[in-house]
Amino acid sequence: MGLNVELKKLEELELETQRLAAQLQSSKANNGSADQTDDDLLKLQVENTKLKHRLAILRQSIAEESKAGGSIEVQENSSITEHLHFVFAQAIALAFPEYKDTPVSIAPVNSASAKFGDYQCNNAMKLAKQLKEKGINKSPGDIATEIQRNCPVSPLIEKLEVAGAGFVNVFLSKNYASQALSGLLRNGVKPPPVPKRRVLIDFSSPNIAKQMHVGHLRSTIIGESICRLLEFLQHDVVRINHLGDWGTQFGMLIAHLEDRFPNFLNESPPIGDLQVFYKESKKRFDEDEEFKKRAYSRVVSLQSGEPNSIKAWQLICDVSRKEFQTIYNRLDVSIQERGESFYQSRMLSVVEFLRKKNLLEPDEGREIMWPDESKTGIPLTIVKSDGGFTYDTSDMAAIRHRLEEEKCSWIIYVVDAGQSTHFNTIFKAAERCGILDRAVHRVDHVQFGVVLGEDGKKFKTRSGDTVKLSDLLDEGMKRSLNQLESRGRNDVLTPQELKDAQEAVAYSCIKYADLCHNRISDYIFSFDKMLEDRGNTAVYLLYTYTRICSIARNSGEDFSDLAKVLEGVNIDLSHEKEWKLAKTLLKMHDILIKCSNELFLHFLCEFCYEVCTVFTEFYDSCYCIEKNKAGEIIAVNRSRILLCEATAAVLRQSFFILGLKPVAKI
Amino acid sequence: MAGEDLIARFQELGMSEQKAKETLKNANVTKNLQLALAEVGAGTALGDGTGMLIYHLASKLKPQTAEHLPLLVRYIVERKLDNTQRVDAALEYVLKCGQKLKASIDLQELDKECGVGVVVTSEEIERAVQSKIKASYKEILLQQRYHFNSFKILQDVRSELKWADAKSVKAAIDVEIFDLLGPKTEADLKPPPKQNEKPKAQAKPKPEAAQPSATVEATSDGATTIAELMKTKVHFHAPGENFKTDGYVVTEHTEKLLKEHLKRTGGQVHTRFPPEPNGILHIGHAKAININFGYAAAHDGVCYLRYDDTNPEKEEEKFFVAIREMVEWLGYKPYKITYSSDNFQQLYEWAVLLIKKGLAYVCHQKAEELKGFNPPPSPWRERPIAESLQLFEDMKRGKIDEGAATLRLNLTLEEGKVDPVAYRIKFIPHHRTGTAWCIYPTYDYTHCLCDSLEDITHSLCTKEFQSRRSSYYWLCNALGIYCPVQWEYGRLNMNYALVSKRKIAKLITEQIVHDWDDPRLFTLTALRRRGFPPEAINNFCAQMGVTGAQIAVDPAMLEAAVRDVLNITAPRRLVVLEPLKVTIKNFPHKSPVQLDVPDFPQNPQQGSHKITLDKVVYIERGDFKLEPEKGYRRLAPKQSVGLRHAGLVISVDEIVTDPATGDVVELICSSQSAEQAEKPKAFVQWVSQPIPLEVRLYDQLFKHKNPEDPNEVPGGFLSDISDQSMTVVRAFADQSLRQAKVYDKFQFERIGFFSVDPDTTKDRIVFNRTVGLKEDAGKK
Repeated sequence: MGLNVELKKLEELELETQRLAAQLQSSKANNGSADQTDDDLLKLQVENTKLKHRLAILRQSIAEESKAGGSIEVQENSSITEHLHFVFAQAIALAFPEYKDTPVSIAPVNSASAKFGDYQCNNAMKLAKQLKEKGINKSPGDIATEIQRNCPVSPLIEKLEVAGAGFVNVFLSKNYASQALSGLLRNGVKPPPVPKRRVLIDFSSPNIAKQMHVGHLRSTIIGESICRLLEFLQHDVVRINHLGDWGTQFGMLIAHLEDRFPNFLNESPPIGDLQVFYKESKKRFDEDEEFKKRAYSRVVSLQSGEPNSIKAWQLICDVSRKEFQTIYNRLDVSIQERGESFYQSRMLSVVEFLRKKNLLEPDEGREIMWPDESKTGIPLTIVKSDGGFTYDTSDMAAIRHRLEEEKCSWIIYVVDAGQSTHFNTIFKAAERCGILDRAVHRVDHVQFGVVLGEDGKKFKTRSGDTVKLSDLLDEGMKRSLNQLESRGRNDVLTPQELKDAQEAVAYSCIKYADLCHNRISDYIFSFDKMLEDRGNTAVYLLYTYTRICSIARNSGEDFSDLAKVLEGVNIDLSHEKEWKLAKTLLKMHDILIKCSNELFLHFLCEFCYEVCTVFTEFYDSCYCIEKNKAGEIIAVNRSRILLCEATAAVLRQSFFILGLKPVAKI
Repeated sequence: MAGEDLIARFQELGMSEQKAKETLKNANVTKNLQLALAEVGAGTALGDGTGMLIYHLASKLKPQTAEHLPLLVRYIVERKLDNTQRVDAALEYVLKCGQKLKASIDLQELDKECGVGVVVTSEEIERAVQSKIKASYKEILLQQRYHFNSFKILQDVRSELKWADAKSVKAAIDVEIFDLLGPKTEADLKPPPKQNEKPKAQAKPKPEAAQPSATVEATSDGATTIAELMKTKVHFHAPGENFKTDGYVVTEHTEKLLKEHLKRTGGQVHTRFPPEPNGILHIGHAKAININFGYAAAHDGVCYLRYDDTNPEKEEEKFFVAIREMVEWLGYKPYKITYSSDNFQQLYEWAVLLIKKGLAYVCHQKAEELKGFNPPPSPWRERPIAESLQLFEDMKRGKIDEGAATLRLNLTLEEGKVDPVAYRIKFIPHHRTGTAWCIYPTYDYTHCLCDSLEDITHSLCTKEFQSRRSSYYWLCNALGIYCPVQWEYGRLNMNYALVSKRKIAKLITEQIVHDWDDPRLFTLTALRRRGFPPEAINNFCAQMGVTGAQIAVDPAMLEAAVRDVLNITAPRRLVVLEPLKVTIKNFPHKSPVQLDVPDFPQNPQQGSHKITLDKVVYIERGDFKLEPEKGYRRLAPKQSVGLRHAGLVISVDEIVTDPATGDVVELICSSQSAEQAEKPKAFVQWVSQPIPLEVRLYDQLFKHKNPEDPNEVPGGFLSDISDQSMTVVRAFADQSLRQAKVYDKFQFERIGFFSVDPDTTKDRIVFNRTVGLKEDAGKK
């Protein structure tokens, strides 16, 4: 039965109710007449009650059917907050149709104030203000009550209560939670349903012939995690490494290569250290006028695609590429290379495009473009006075390519905070020239602060050089091994297990330390801090996770086939700590959505930490496996072990997004 | 096999022809016997007594162990089971194995349980008898001689020698006793001396009133108190042994479900009192309350108070409160208070499951079509499952009109009722679930499932529900959930009473009674107001027992129980209902005196109170007669009378009459002290310096035993009202009653038992007559 039929019925019923009310009114007016009237009155009153009841039922049904195709079920894997948004949006629409577009305000309630429920809807206060402006005086409490009354029935909600100044408090249903966790165990952690987008993430982006340093480390780690998050949310993710592989410096590198390895066309030149090679050529470029001239000519021949120069350029790039790949492998990062060179032809066409739109202005021989009509701020230099292009040109070409050719609807630039003016200008300019349409497209500059040493100054080696990324990772490996050895793990683990643990700890720590802070602020890089096994560190999380996994293993029962175990066991949430843990786990979808909306991963880190601490509380007060004094198992609480397994599953998925690699033994 | 043949074959087993014919009437036993005979096979000669053992087996076999009949018959034929004791042991053993469907019987275990092959020699018996008598019975035997019941020794010996033949043991005991005591003396032949320590409370009411008038000999199944009744007279199954009860249906899940059930309950008895909150409780409910709460209490179990609130139409908040109050008044505390409506969601989900299993369907027959004896079968019975699911969903969503669809169960009840309704549409808000539902489950559907959810061990209900037992079991088993055991007991009906909610309401609107708690009614609030002590009501229920028979009793029986309690609990007071002024001319004291009067004259240490004696006293007008008839013992012009507790005997000097009417208005008397005076024939109650009381005297409301029976009362119950059911008098009482609180109970000496009515205020004291001192035989 369609919604329209129901609506029509509803309208009829409303008319009927009005008619009856009028009749009631008139029979009241006639009161004092014979018994006959009283009987009629009574009948009408009963009829009226029935119609009102049916109206209420139909309203609920309409509310339920209008969502999720008439099903009263919660959309599977739905985030709780999203679901509540939905519920309250309907309630507000029913109770105050003129405010049906009011943004719904749902906030989680601090677990310390459990009597106020788990979530609350805070719309009543604002609605009261809005109504007052219209001259309608209604207390927020009354409004909240009306919202509450109009809430569609949801299996997710145990009860609703109006409290305080007009909050509608939501108490989650244990039954729902138990089912949701069973589903999670049966099907694995599934993403919350969100509208799918094609999203391009531009991250890492080191420069050819230069070392990757800690600045690139941040972009790489954050970019990779954002990719993993959005891929988990089922977005179509394009991971792009916007390599610095183009520009005048390649002229001198090619010229130097020709001199050092004349046979490079036939035999791969053994360039051991590209940095040394770069320095040598730079020195010649600065000192040798003739070399400089030749270097420029090689730039021209490279840009015009002359085969020998291309070949030389490729050789040089390959050396860097190999180095980068080693780092990516170590950090478990995958990325598709699309360097600046890729946009060579597109730079030409974007210049043409802008020129046609009359957006380019001559400025002392350059051609510039103002980001908006007001012509304030910093203009983009699209064409240099020598006819060459700049970063501005390639970024304009890139954004155009990404939106128009790649057909992405969302671009994320993971670049340090220092570039924020530049990207703002690019976004504005792209909007101005009609490449970017913010109604359809989303562009984000995911900026991050600089890495500081423990002294609070810019992260440098003792000699003052920038820290090479590979050295940093090596140091991490060493420290991680020390940490494991100091805890005597080398005696317990096999060499392979020890190595796995060492790598897991080293790389997880470095990534987690980066991700667990608000990325915008600068962060202090400290191996000592990140290797602590207490507090919000990767080590603590990994240990806790391993401990959780061991519980099912030590129960003496088979939990390998969870679906089968679930056939005989209901997840029981009657203990306060079980319930708290369940509610914490079910926040995951809320957190993932929040992370993806704001592109902050520290929310997810905090969530992991919360899960671990809440789990510890649970484990401290709830027996999962009971043993007698002799250490023999006397009782296995399957429901609780399933809770452990659910915790592990949630952590495992979160770890994956954060790039943490759990190991079986640590 | 034809009847004649069967009778012949039954006779071959050793039955008399008469017995064989009677047996043939019992279909169940006949069926078992036929199967047994088939197992024995024609032509097999049966050993001595074997036939009757087979008959014994056939008559005791329960349906759930019927599959083991061949095995047991074989055992009997092979003389492995050679007496009834062994057959009973075998039956008990196979029943114990009955929790599992198609249980295999461990023959070794069976042999052990039945003592197959165990032979007890007469020497062994003799030895056992001698040692038992020597150890425990010698002294008592010497003391009581042949009055001692030797059955105790028999039991004792057989507890040691389980398989000893009873007759041989009895013979051995007789020999030993004879050895010990010699031949019987004359004293031994006399009946034993009576034990005169009969408890007071057990005093039976007069026989003609005591006999439950309508049906069976119920009292013998009763007991003095509920606790005693539940411990000694009631034999229900032990928790978890559900499968041992008659008619219990064992499925493949039974064993697991019972095990889980025991784990949840810890083996505790769980009962429930499940009233519909649509009216107030009456005396019939008192029985249900006592049985459910009493059984749980007597077995360290718990009892729920469950409001069966599935019908939204009839429920009102006041009923919920009143029900709970009455349960507590009777002295019981519910383990938990639950509501059937708490389970609406679960019940709904189960209904969906039943539809999915093809065990329920949506039907559109109208309620009128289903009335009467042979309603047409539903044409919707075979509709596709998906269609029923959708329609049921539509019902729930409010898309279908009231009465246009029901959900029915695919099941035929034994009484022939086809496909009972499980859900119907009602657009009525529910007091607890508000507007959440517009489909409401029926009693048939809800009751057993709520029992199951609460892990009820004994679902105790009245006999009318016996026919619902099979649907009860069917439903639990269809859903694969724990199935409690339903036990039925007979309803308690009170003669001269009316308990229908609608009819009481009519009495109130017709202003025949004042309210639901008018003391002439038999609602529990009315009984409380009338002054019935709760323990008396409980004891009364205990006397009625827990048999299957429906009992109808006269109120006199309940009143007798009330008297038994009040006799020992209600302190005495002097009150005159119709005062006659008496002035004592020669009052022996200078001024009024205070007398100390015991509350319980038979038992003065239980306390006392003070009353005032003055020159002017009031006596009961009926205790003075101008023209006394023969045998009259109280005050008359020429006959003196004693004043109770006053130590005075008065005699009439002068009679003052109202000149207008001629009525006696005052007596002028002279007094003598009781020691000096000739002993008067009677002592009467009196009061001095009295306070006024309003006393309400109640009598039976209806003239006929069954006012609702059109044969007895063709004009309907409203035409059967006695016009003297309530009289109000202005009585005089002594000052000590001024402090009485509502529901305080007293014996007004020589008049009856009275209780303070809630209408009492500071300035107006109102008493209700609870019962007279003795049953008023003249009233019938």
